[in-house]
Parts: sequence; structure tokens; C-alpha cells
Amino acid sequence: MLWNNIIIALRNLRKNKAFAAINISGLALGLTIYIFGGLLVEYENTHDQSYANVNRIYTIGSTANPELNVGVDKFNSTFMAVAPIIKAELSDIDAVARTRNREYLLTSGAESYYEGLRFADPELLTIFDFNYIHGDSSALDDPSGLLITETIAIKYFGNTDAIGEVLTFDNEYDFSVTAVIEDPPLNTHFNSLVIADQSFGIVAPIRALNRLIDYDADVGDWNNLSLGDMTYVLLPENLDQAWLQSQADRIYDTLVPEDEGQAIASLDVHPLSYANVAIWDMIGMPVIVVISLLSLMVLIVACVNYTNLATAQSLGRTREVGMRKTMGATQIQLLTQFLVESLVIAAIAMIFAIAALEMVIPLFNNAAGKNMTLDYMATMPWLLMTTVLVGLFAGLYPAWLITRTNPIEALRDIARKGKKGSRVRSFMIGAQFAISAFMLAMVTIVYLQNEKVKSSSYIFPRSEIYVVDRLNVDGISDKLETLRHELEALPNVDSVAFSSQVPYEQNNSQNELSPIPGDEAAGITLMNMRMSPEFLDAYDIPVLAGRNLSHDITNDKRTDELESLNILVNELTLAKMGIDKPIDAINQRLYPLDEASTLREYVIVGVVPTQNIVGLFNEEKAWFYQYSPSSLRIGSVRITGGNIMDSVEAVEDVWDRVIPDYPIQGRFLDAVFDDVYNVLKYMNMALGIFAFVALSLALIGLFGLAAFMATQRTKEIGVRKVLGASTTQIARLLVWQFSTPVLWALLVALPGAYFATQGYLNFFADRIESPIPILIVSGLTAVLLAWGTIAGHAIRIARSNPIRALRYE
Amino acid sequence: MLKLHNMYKVYSTDEVETVALNGVNVEIEQGDFVAIMGPSGCGKSTLLNIVGMLDNPSDGDYFFFDENIADYNESQRSAIRKHNIGFIFQSFNLIDELSVAENIELALLYHDMPSAERKQRVATVMDRMGIGHRANHMPGQLSGGQQQRVAVARAVVGDQPLILADEPTGNLDSVHGQEVMELLRSLNKEGTTIVMVTHSPAHADYAHRTVNLFDGHIVTENTRAA
Repeated sequence: MLWNNIIIALRNLRKNKAFAAINISGLALGLTIYIFGGLLVEYENTHDQSYANVNRIYTIGSTANPELNVGVDKFNSTFMAVAPIIKAELSDIDAVARTRNREYLLTSGAESYYEGLRFADPELLTIFDFNYIHGDSSALDDPSGLLITETIAIKYFGNTDAIGEVLTFDNEYDFSVTAVIEDPPLNTHFNSLVIADQSFGIVAPIRALNRLIDYDADVGDWNNLSLGDMTYVLLPENLDQAWLQSQADRIYDTLVPEDEGQAIASLDVHPLSYANVAIWDMIGMPVIVVISLLSLMVLIVACVNYTNLATAQSLGRTREVGMRKTMGATQIQLLTQFLVESLVIAAIAMIFAIAALEMVIPLFNNAAGKNMTLDYMATMPWLLMTTVLVGLFAGLYPAWLITRTNPIEALRDIARKGKKGSRVRSFMIGAQFAISAFMLAMVTIVYLQNEKVKSSSYIFPRSEIYVVDRLNVDGISDKLETLRHELEALPNVDSVAFSSQVPYEQNNSQNELSPIPGDEAAGITLMNMRMSPEFLDAYDIPVLAGRNLSHDITNDKRTDELESLNILVNELTLAKMGIDKPIDAINQRLYPLDEASTLREYVIVGVVPTQNIVGLFNEEKAWFYQYSPSSLRIGSVRITGGNIMDSVEAVEDVWDRVIPDYPIQGRFLDAVFDDVYNVLKYMNMALGIFAFVALSLALIGLFGLAAFMATQRTKEIGVRKVLGASTTQIARLLVWQFSTPVLWALLVALPGAYFATQGYLNFFADRIESPIPILIVSGLTAVLLAWGTIAGHAIRIARSNPIRALRYE
Repeated sequence: MLKLHNMYKVYSTDEVETVALNGVNVEIEQGDFVAIMGPSGCGKSTLLNIVGMLDNPSDGDYFFFDENIADYNESQRSAIRKHNIGFIFQSFNLIDELSVAENIELALLYHDMPSAERKQRVATVMDRMGIGHRANHMPGQLSGGQQQRVAVARAVVGDQPLILADEPTGNLDSVHGQEVMELLRSLNKEGTTIVMVTHSPAHADYAHRTVNLFDGHIVTENTRAA
């Protein structure tokens, strides 16, 4: 019986090839998106499973104090001072270890590269069981030891047999390799941070920082909170996350020094499996949840599509059903028959979907640097269940509707009247369009917000600034003036400036200053830009009042002995100080509240306009600018005119001549901006794909349904035409029939999209004006697309000779 | 009023060409009552459809009030049709979702007529056809004869000078058939031109003239004294 049903199902598919093609491709598309989304979410949520202790490892993150105002709500990191407290306080834990990311120039013979390395406590190797090729987990006990991956070993030494080989940091400090491990799999959090390139290659002992930067790792610090500087805790089997969280709360409340921990509001314990997806919570965008929801929505649209078309098509089979009933078939038997048909279609669609995934996943892995696989053994139950559920969910309504008819009616064909189930169909169309319009509106808003971020970034000459990084190294910082003079001599170089940061870098270096000496209540928080006087030139920043800083004035240039330093401030700083006119700020003084500073006062000698230097999702901030030669980290070379590539090459030649010991680390300011902007861009692209698929499916469904309804109303159309209705009038009649559900759908979808995008918009300080007109436009777009789809068909029907409509009545 | 000259209609499928009309010449004067008779498949309905501008001929000329409309497209034909021709079908072709009055009004809906005037004319024509008390019924609630009266009412409500009836009595019993024929005769007396396809010689006797078709040719034409 079942086999018989399958045969009939296949024959029916062959008979209605166009219908079958629309149905199967629509369903296959929906399944592809859904399964891909599911696999991606699963992949992202199950990183680090290759480590034996995965279920006992936890990370300590932080919640940012809202007053910190750095555009990020949460950190996956905490201060370096926390781990030593945990180690001293919690004797029950098995191990605690920190990693701290720093970049160095590593050299071995002729091989010399900048590398991002992790400085780690030796216990890191207790917590994570890496696969050692050479050496063992004692590798970091020696403060000048080095653990490297096989990729790094081959890069520097040509083979993995590298124990005892020496790598020199910044041409000065020697470290020798004590262990070589296999590369960690791609699906570990070590390799998967979205923004920064912190791929896992080299681990140095954290105590080495003592030698490198005079840093006491045993105490740590309360100054630096950088994403990716992890603190790991390994718990014994009998302790869990709740316990560790309660201990962390106690430590925050009682052991964090009052004036040190202000930047954070709490310490957050997370399981290791969370480390990979933590980034999305940090920036406040639940991307993983959104992917799950959107892929499910696309699948629902595809199912509804199938249901609609199958219902329409099955009404053409009422005669068959009547005949079968007359011959004694029960409703259950007929239901089974129709459900088997929809299951067969779902199964075929699933096969196509899997074939599509086999092609898409490798492409995606390649593009996104991931290692997703479609593991048939592991996913088989899920795939089978999805197939069955889709088949049943999509096929149940049409099967029930068609088999419900009594046999006489069915044979008389009264059931073919288009009214049957039309309300349910309208509802389904409405649901499809609600989902599509919802996605379309979201994509549009996200797109426009991204465009706004992009366009407001053009206040700086992004494409003309060649940024040269890592200048705060002993061998470089004393040659900066020579470098500047040589570069300025190049024909296409306009100006050369050095600073502590360039626009779009997500650094927030803040200082607390007060107009009244020692008065903390009057204190204002200012962003601290350290720069050379040429910075204003390079970035076209005008001086509104007073003057720029100068190389030649003693009090303009910060030195260790100086007591009074001249500074520039921006207009927002004036507002915070309660000064109206820029000219009135000249010679006003600000006093540092930090007692450790030798400096007594800052004197304002110039005012510049307020610019959003950190940019992207941050708001405009109050800044002060000081010329502090010892804090210049990054150079900006303004290149105008001439061939860009030639100019960059000339800049590189100058660098190699002036600073032969270090390779240049240069790129355009555009690339700095793209570091963060690309994340937003790719998110919108993904959203766009979802919306496109959903809308296409909805339109295909609508087209099929319009065709069906037109045949159902053939007689009525004929009569109306005979009575003199024009083509337009008939077309309008057909189009209008579908407009009501589509318009209802918009009423649901657009407010939904409004609330959904608020989350995204809240992420940005500088938001698009009002999303409401955009919502209305995307709603109209959905309606117009719907109308266009139906109208094409309706006009064709309306144009035909009326007698065709009436002949077979 | 209208004149068909050397009219051909060929239906072709992939393999077969069927000639439905094979060089037909007919002339119909204003005020005429013409019955078209002939066996099944002889081209009666095809002829009627072409006269009614529901279909276009494969070849030949069609003069309607001295205007050759043979090559007009559907929208041009539609414009002429709606003011000049009313249709009555064997299967009534009423719209089941509309009431009797609404079905009749449908014929005026495409005439740019104010709503009040439409209602007035619908009421008048329903009284004339004796179906005034049925105005709010749905077609399904009426007998065949009553349904055909509604269809006749719909055909004449726009004051069309020409009525085409395709076996108007084919679905009716003899009593109701008789009634409909009387209705057509009285319309004709008032000046409406009627062209009717029928199988029934008795009903053909109501006409002034009978045209006999066979295999797409006109074989005989008989004229009766009025």
C-alpha cells in the first residue's frame, strides 16, 4: 500500500512537471538555508570540543561599567590582576591561567615577521591538552621558553624539529623553543575571534613580560582591559559554573580595590564553549540567535509556499478523490495517500538541499576560514526529522481539505469553486509576506545605517592616509623625526604625522582632568590623543581659536620634567567645561587628578572642532591633544596625487633606509576602517541573502496561486468580459484579491521590523534619522513586487478571448 | 445591421485542423429574429461567437453597422460589444456569489453609469421579466427557468439592440422553455434584433428566418411570414 502510494506520488509529479519543479525547488531552497543556518549555529556553539577538559574550563569576562562609554557592553576579558587574586583565594580550583596578546617582531636568521603572540601563565598547558609534537606541558616554566605550532615552526625553521631554536623579539630579546604542538583545530576559540587577527601560533611565558616591558605578571594590573586577553579557570568535577560565579561576585565585591575596578561592573563566568560566540554579546548583537530565527523563518515561508500551491493544485483532483471515495476509500486512506505525496516531495527536496549544501559549505569554509562539515552520521536524525516534519506540516492542510469533500460533490465538481479554503490561503499568503516584508525592512534599515556609518567616516581622508604601525619600539622611536623629514621630501607626500592612535581604531584612552586643582567632583573625562603637531595638517583639522602645537615651544612638548604642558582641546571639551566661545578657552587650565603624574597643569592654547575620531558605532567625544613624543605609536603619511603604488613604494624605500632593522607595517586608513566595518557589512550581506530567498519564495508562491485562482475564476472572468469589462478592470479584480492579505501582512511585519532593528540601531551612537519612512518604502516595495507578479499573469488572462473562458463550462 | 462575408474559422491543434466555418455569408437586418439550426459540430456556436465578437474569425470580413471589425483586437471589440450586444447562454452563466440584482447590475457596471440610474434600470427590467420579488436571492436558489430570465434581464438591461442566444432553452423543460421564447418574441416586437442558436424546430418557429448550417456551410435559409 505504501509503495503503491509512493508510485502514485511519483507519477503525479511527472504529470505536473512545472508544478513539481516550483514546489521542489522552493522547498529545497528553504531546506538548504535552514540546514545551513542550523549547521552554522551548531558549529559556532560547539567549538573547543577537542579539549579533554572542555566541560570543566571556564572563562572570566567583565561587564563594562556604563560610564565607561566605549561602545561595548561586555568584555570576554578582565584585568590581569584578577587571576592572581583567584589563585590566592580559591584553593579548590584546579588551575587558573591568563593570556595576554602582544605583537613583536620575531627574527630567526633571515626570517623576520611581526607576530601576534600570547603571553600565558604556565598553567595554560595544564588546562588545555595540546597535541605535542616535541616537548611537553612544562614548556612555559622557563621564562625564556616558547611554545610554537607546527605552522610557525615550518615558517621559521623549515621543519617541526625546532626544540632549542632561538627566536629574537624586536631584535633584542632571545627566546628558545621548548615545545612544538599541532595547530589547534579551526573550531577552537583560539582561532575564531571575529575582529582582531589573533590566530594561535606562539605562546610565551607571561613572566617574560618582566624582561620585555618591565611588567610584573605576578601582580597584574588594573589599567588595561583588552578584548581577547583571556582568564581561564579549570574546575574539579564537583564544582560548577554557579559556584565559580558566586566566588567571582565575592571577589569583585570584597577584593577588587575601590578605585581600581571602576571600569567594570561585574566579573562574568562563562563556560569555555561560550568563548567562541562571546563576541556577539560583547557588541550587543545576538547574531547566532538571529541566524537560527531567520533560517527557520525562511523554511516556514518555503513550507507555506508548498502548502498554498499544493492546496491549489489538489483541488483539481477532486474528481479523483470522489472516484476513490465512491469505490470505498476512507478518508484516512486518502489522507495517507496525499501525505505520502508530500513526504516524497519533501524527501526529494531534501536530497537537492543536501546536494546544494555539499557545494555551498566548502565555498563558505573557504571564504570565511571555517571548517564546517555536513556529518551525515551525526545529523541524520535531524535531517530525517526535518524531512518528515516539513512533509507533514506542508502537506497536511491540502490533504485534509481535499479528502474532506463528500463523494457526490467531488464528482459533480462543485468543490472546484475557488472559495474553498480561500481564507486559509489568504492567511498563508499574509504570513509569507509578513516574513518577507519584515526581513526586507530589516535589511534596508541595517543597510542604510551602515551607509551612514560609512559616509560619516569620510570626514577624514581615508584613502589618502598611509598608516604605519608599531613605532613605539626603542629602535624606531628615536628615529621618527628623521623618518618624517625624509618622507616629507618625497614628491607626493603632503604631510607626515605621528600619534597614539589613528581614526577608527577602537582604542579608548581616557584621562580624568579637572578645571579646579584636586577637585574630583568637577572632574571631566577626556579622551587622550597624543600626537605630533603635524597631525592637524595630515587630517585637515582646522584650528578654531588659538594656535597649533609646535616643535619649537618648550611647553608644547611633553617631557618627564615638564610641569606645565600646552594642549589643544575640541569644542565638546569646551561644552563640558562650560565655555561658550573657543576664544574664551585660550589659556584656561586643566589639572590632572592622577597623583602619580609629575605634571601639574595643562594649558589650553588652541581649540579644534569636534570630530568623531573613534568613529563607527561610537559617539563624538571630548578630546584633548598633547604633543608627547614618547607615546607616539602610529604614523600617518598623507599621500596625494601621483601613482599611489609608486608613492607607497617610495615610502617603503625611505623606511628601509632609515629603519633597516624593522620591516614596515603599513596599510591605508581605509583598511583600518574596514577592520570593524566589514563585520557590519558581512552581517548585512547575510541578512540580505535571507531576505532575498524569503521574498523570492513568497513571490513564486503568489505567482502559482494567482495562476490557480485565475483558472478557478475562469467563468466569472468570461462573464464579466462578455458584459464588457476591459482588460484593466479584470486585471485589477485579480490583483485586488491578493492585496488584502498582503496589506494585512505589512501591518504586522513593519512594526515587528521596527522593534527588531531598534536593537541594531541602539548599537550606534550616530543613528539614521527615523526608520519609519524606510519601513514604509520597503513595505511598498513588497506590495509592488506582489502586484507586479500577479499583474503579469492577470493581464494575460484578461486579454484572452472571452470565449476561451466560457467554452468548457 | 451586420454582414458576414466569406467567413472562415479554423481551429488547429498540433496535428489536426478543424474547419468550423467554411466561407459563410450572412446578412442580418435591424429588427430581425434569426434562428440558426444544424447538427452538433456544424459551427452554430462558432458563428454565434464570431457574431458576438467573443472570438475573431480566421478569415473573412465582418461589417457591423458598416464598420469592418474582423481584425479588431479584444479591447476594441469589447468597446463595441458592451453597448450593442447582449448574450444569453444555455448554461445561464450567472455568477453564483452575486445576488440576482447584482448579476443584472454587473452588465451596467462597465457602462459608466451612476449608481442610482443603474439601480433604477435593474428594478425596471426585473419587473418586466417578472423576477422583481427575487432580487436578493442567489442564483442557486432559483429554478432553471427563473435563472434564464435573470440571464435575459442581464442581456437586455443595457438596451443593447442585438441579443445573441446560444440554445437559451437547452437546459429548460418545455414549459419554462416556452416562457423564455415568449419573452424573446416580445423583445423582438419592441425592436430588438435577436440571433438564436437552437436544436428545437418548435422554438425555431418563433424566428422570422432560419439558417441551417452543415459542416461550416449554410445549406438553406427559410424565411417565414412574420
